Amino acid sequence: VSTGAAGSGAQLLVVEDERNVGQTLAERLQGAGYRVTLAESAARARQAWRAQAPQLTLLDVGLPDGNGFDLAGELRAALPQTAIIFLTAHGNPEERVRGLELGADDYLTKPFHFRELLLRIQNCLKRAQDLAEVPGEMRGVVRIGRARVDFERFSAEVAGTHHALTHKECAVLRLLASRVGKAVSRDEILDKAWSADEFPTSRTVDNFIVRLRKLVEPNADEPRVIRSIRGVGYLLTEVIRE
Amino acid sequence: VRLIVVLAAAWIVLVLSLGAWWITLVIRQARRIGELQSLTGSADSAVAAQWASTRRMVIGESSVFLLLLLAVTALLAWLYWRESRRARGMQAFFASVTHELRTPLTSIRLQAEAIAEGDQRAELARRLLEDSSRLESQIDKTLELARIEGGGPLAEQSVPLRGWLERTLTTIAAAHGGRLELRVQLDDSLPPIQADAAAVQMIMRNLVENSVHHAQLERVQVQVTARAHGDQVILEYRDNGAGTSVQARELGRLFGRGAGSEGSGVGLYLVRALMRRMGGRADFFSAPGAGFRAELRFAASRDEAAA
Repeated sequence: VSTGAAGSGAQLLVVEDERNVGQTLAERLQGAGYRVTLAESAARARQAWRAQAPQLTLLDVGLPDGNGFDLAGELRAALPQTAIIFLTAHGNPEERVRGLELGADDYLTKPFHFRELLLRIQNCLKRAQDLAEVPGEMRGVVRIGRARVDFERFSAEVAGTHHALTHKECAVLRLLASRVGKAVSRDEILDKAWSADEFPTSRTVDNFIVRLRKLVEPNADEPRVIRSIRGVGYLLTEVIRE
Repeated sequence: VRLIVVLAAAWIVLVLSLGAWWITLVIRQARRIGELQSLTGSADSAVAAQWASTRRMVIGESSVFLLLLLAVTALLAWLYWRESRRARGMQAFFASVTHELRTPLTSIRLQAEAIAEGDQRAELARRLLEDSSRLESQIDKTLELARIEGGGPLAEQSVPLRGWLERTLTTIAAAHGGRLELRVQLDDSLPPIQADAAAVQMIMRNLVENSVHHAQLERVQVQVTARAHGDQVILEYRDNGAGTSVQARELGRLFGRGAGSEGSGVGLYLVRALMRRMGGRADFFSAPGAGFRAELRFAASRDEAAA
C-alpha cells in the first residue's frame, strides 16, 4: 500500500473521542492523500456530515454523547451512499455482528496497523463506487415483491414507509435482480458483496436474505419473491420496472 | 454452569426426599408411640411421661434437621447468586480494562508507525508520553484493586497535608499538561491526618483523572480545600466539569459506569474503598452542569510531633 497517492482526495469523516487517536489518525490519513474531517462527539459528527457529505466514515463505537451503533443508523438514513468502518476497542463477536448488521461495511478492532486500515478504506471506497454505478436497467425505481426499490438512492419503500438499504443489502439485492429467474449461489453472493478481508460464512448470507425477505415478501414465512434453491443458493422471481 | 445447575437440582431433590422421608418417619413414630401408650394404659404416669418425652424428642430432632437442611440450601443459593453477580461484574471489568488498554495502545502504535516512517515532530513524542502515562495509570489501578480486594495492608502514619498535598497534586496535574488548572487552599491550623500516604496519592490521582476524562472541557478547573472538624479533617475536591446524571449513591460502585462513559468503573470505587480502609469516608456529589464534588473525611492524627 502506498501512503502517498492512496487517498486520491476522497472525503473522510473520522468520529473518534480519544483526542490522540483521532488527531494522529486524521494527520496520517491526510498524509495518505485523503481530505479528513475530525469529530470528537456524536453531535459534531452530525454537523460534519451535514456540512460535507463524506464518502467514508470511520466510526468509534463508544462516544461521550452517544453510541456509535445508533449514530451509524442515523448516518445510513441521512447519507446512504457513505461507507462506514467501525473502529472499536470492543472486539467481541456479538458487537462485530451487530455493527455489520447495522450497515457497517467493515469493522476493525483497536489496536490496528495503519496500513491495514488504509487497505480496508480503499476496498470500501471501491465497493461503494461500484454500487454507485447503477447499470441502465436498474436505474429509477424497480418493484421487487411488495417493495419499490431505488438502487441509486439505496432506499426501499414498503407500504408508504421508506427504508434505508445498507450497502451489503443493496449489493445482494442487485446481484439477485441482475439474474432474475436464475439461481445465484451463496459463494457468488459472498464473493461479490463481501470483501476478501472479511470472514463471513454462508450463514451470514442467509441472515441477509432473511432481512431482505422481511422487506420484499408479502409473507416472509412463505417466501415467493426470493426463493431458496436447495444446495445452491437463492433465486429472485420478479423485478418490475416502473 | 450446566454442572452447577445439575448439582443444585440434585441437592434440592435430595433435600426434598430426605425431608419427606423424615416427616413420614416422624408421623409413623408418633403414631406408634401413641398406640403403645394406649396399650400400656395411662395408669402408669411415669411410663406415659416417658412416651411423651420420646415423642417430643423425635419431633424436635426432625424439625431441627429439616431446618438445617433448608438453611444450608438457602445459604448455597445465596452464595451462588452472589458469585454469579461477581463473575458478571468481573467480566464487565475485564472488558472495560481491555478497552482502556487498547485505546492508548492504538494511539501509541499510530504514532510509532509515523515516527518509523520519518515523522519527527515533537508533538508525536508528547502524545506518546501522554498515552504511556494513561497505560501506567490503568495498570496501577488494576493492581491496587487486586491488592485492596485481597485485603493487602496499608502503612498508616501521621501525614501533614500542608505542603505535602500541594506538591502531590502539582505532580499529578503535571501529567495532564495544560488541561488542568489547580487551586489548593488549606487552613493554617490544619492538623495532620492518620493515613497511608501512598493511598492518599492514589485517591488524588483517581479524582484528577476522573475530572480530566469526564469534565468534557478543554481545560478543567479543580479546587481542593481542607478544614479541621472535631477529630476529623474534611478535604473537599471540586471540579467545574459537565457533571453527571448518575445518582450520588451509584458513584463509586465497583464497575459502575455512567451512560456513554468509557471509564473502567474502578477509579471512584478505589477512592471509597481506600478511605474506608483508613477509617475515613468518601462521599460523591454531582449533577448535570454542576460539576463533580468529593468530600473526604480523614481521621486527624493524634501525633502532635508531625504537626
